[in-house]
Amino acid sequence: MIEPVAITAYTCISAAGDGVEALWQALVDNRCRLSSLKLFELPFETVVGAVKTPLPEVSERLAAYGCRNARLALKALNQDGFRARVEEAMDRYQRERVGLVLGTSTSGIYDSEAVYTRFLETGTMPSDFHFMRRHAAQATAEFLALELGLAGPSYAISTACSSSAKALAAGQRLISAGVCDAVLVAGVDTLCRLTLRGFHSLELIDPQPCRPMDSSRRGINIGEGAGMLLLERRAAANAGAPFLLAVGESSDAHHMSAPHPDGAGAARAMAMALERAGVSPESVDYINLHATATPLNDQSEARAVTQMFPKPPPCSGVKGLLGHTLGAAGAVEAVVSLLALERGLLPGTCGFRELGVDSALPVLGDPQAGARPRHVLSNAFGFGGNNASVLLRSGGA
Amino acid sequence: MMERMSLLGYAVCGIGLESDALPFDVGGIDRDAMPAGLRRRASEATQLAFSAAARACREAARSPAALPSVFASVGGEMQVTDQLCIELAKPEGLVSPTAFHNSVHNTAAGYWTIVHGCPEPATALAAGHDTFALGLLEAWCQLSCNGGELLVVCYDERWPGYLAPPLGRVAVASAMVLAAGDVPEALAHLGKPCPIGASGNRAEFSNLLETAPAAWALPLLQSAALGEAGPVALSGNGWVGDLLLATSAAA
Repeated sequence: MIEPVAITAYTCISAAGDGVEALWQALVDNRCRLSSLKLFELPFETVVGAVKTPLPEVSERLAAYGCRNARLALKALNQDGFRARVEEAMDRYQRERVGLVLGTSTSGIYDSEAVYTRFLETGTMPSDFHFMRRHAAQATAEFLALELGLAGPSYAISTACSSSAKALAAGQRLISAGVCDAVLVAGVDTLCRLTLRGFHSLELIDPQPCRPMDSSRRGINIGEGAGMLLLERRAAANAGAPFLLAVGESSDAHHMSAPHPDGAGAARAMAMALERAGVSPESVDYINLHATATPLNDQSEARAVTQMFPKPPPCSGVKGLLGHTLGAAGAVEAVVSLLALERGLLPGTCGFRELGVDSALPVLGDPQAGARPRHVLSNAFGFGGNNASVLLRSGGA
Repeated sequence: MMERMSLLGYAVCGIGLESDALPFDVGGIDRDAMPAGLRRRASEATQLAFSAAARACREAARSPAALPSVFASVGGEMQVTDQLCIELAKPEGLVSPTAFHNSVHNTAAGYWTIVHGCPEPATALAAGHDTFALGLLEAWCQLSCNGGELLVVCYDERWPGYLAPPLGRVAVASAMVLAAGDVPEALAHLGKPCPIGASGNRAEFSNLLETAPAAWALPLLQSAALGEAGPVALSGNGWVGDLLLATSAAA
């Protein structure tokens, strides 16, 4: 058992637009938000989940941290009143008691890629390039901590596509172990050449909008996004807030870039989340699937869910709407799950028509309104066979 | 609430590391730490991390398959990432599937679980110059919340000189097997890592620590080996851990 923590604020930027209302509208409409890539040229066809609204510049004081990833993080911080809630928490507790855990897979590499073009031409790195402050995994965490004046522990978890789901786990532990009273958990990842061309080399990119769990699925679309959640120690003042009950984590011990075909590791992560929270499988009302739309991943996850749940609850995945936001996916989809919990809508699976896995998974193609979910699981699985499953509960008694 | 964690075994491996003054042996890359097929494809970072992790597990007489793990690294797969960035800057640059999946920060953690058939959670984190301290704090939080034992590995390979000078001149990996609470067989006990700001000891390591943040395990392990109890610096930014000696080690 681990101490549940309250989620007292959250926000999200994605291909759906800025803020939770834009994300909510996308979930209600269930209409694909993927589009052609404008940031740079690619030697193959695909669509991406890009953030299309302008990104703010970082302040002059922190100019060395300025990169697409930090700018997306800053934009998220400044919307939905999220920053004010973090600052209130810093006032309520001591600054030293507020921590920050970032989940990211590629951090500021998009800007490094441009710098390398100049490096190859001139043989020297530009003098204003600062690897540790732009590209290193922790760079955006350090930027956010300096921007906010947070003085608690600050670090990045980088376990590929499970990064920010595991950042939620780390944030909960910091509170549960008595190190922090509040933790800002952020998942931030931006479009870059490395992930697009890397997943293409693995033959995992769909040239068309992806179709999670569908019989004709062919692969993923890459997206970018930032999800932010403020975790706080439970108190009378936040009794109405939704809770992070537990995160289950496991390793497939199978392959660097392919899931275990039976989904044993994924099932273990879900089982651990339920066990740590003392919640039975029958109590889970909805599962936000990882559902990347690659043939192997979806099959493996479907087997994992049906292994764990004799009668699986409604399931769906949002990557046909937003693309796969990689290291940000855990946080972005935790926000999707919180909207499901707080507003009573089970998201649909954009692009899904016909079940294409050998397990009887109740996949929602269209959103289901009027639901009253109480417990929601959100899955995130990454390279290295790294699995995390986040268990959330609605607020109130 | 957990008051301390126990050190069950440790190891340090490095390349270019001056180790004569240390009260314990520093190894290089241990070729037996990973299967030959993987070793041919694995980076210096992953090979060193494996070498230290395997030795620490052996010292602690623990099976790698049974331990959750925390892998902490400032730059992760820096050399692979650098090579990929060079390829991506060329019009017809090549990105191989293996190079891509070997560029993720959790490459060492992923292969560690795959090679040992370990189903336990493995995490990978980075915290700049505080990477060792926060790897240890993450270990503390996991042991405090989950109990049991775990493996913590802190490592970095040598980096291209143009990337983050003067960092990355030395390749080093440390590994520790830790247990929640007081364990009778412990070599030493550690209190909760705290950012209290009283560092500055271990002047003999200062050159190394400024160029290799992953080497911050050395002052702690030196104190443990010499039987010197008290606060130990875990980073240059004020992170400190309280080292308490086990009865047998103090005797």
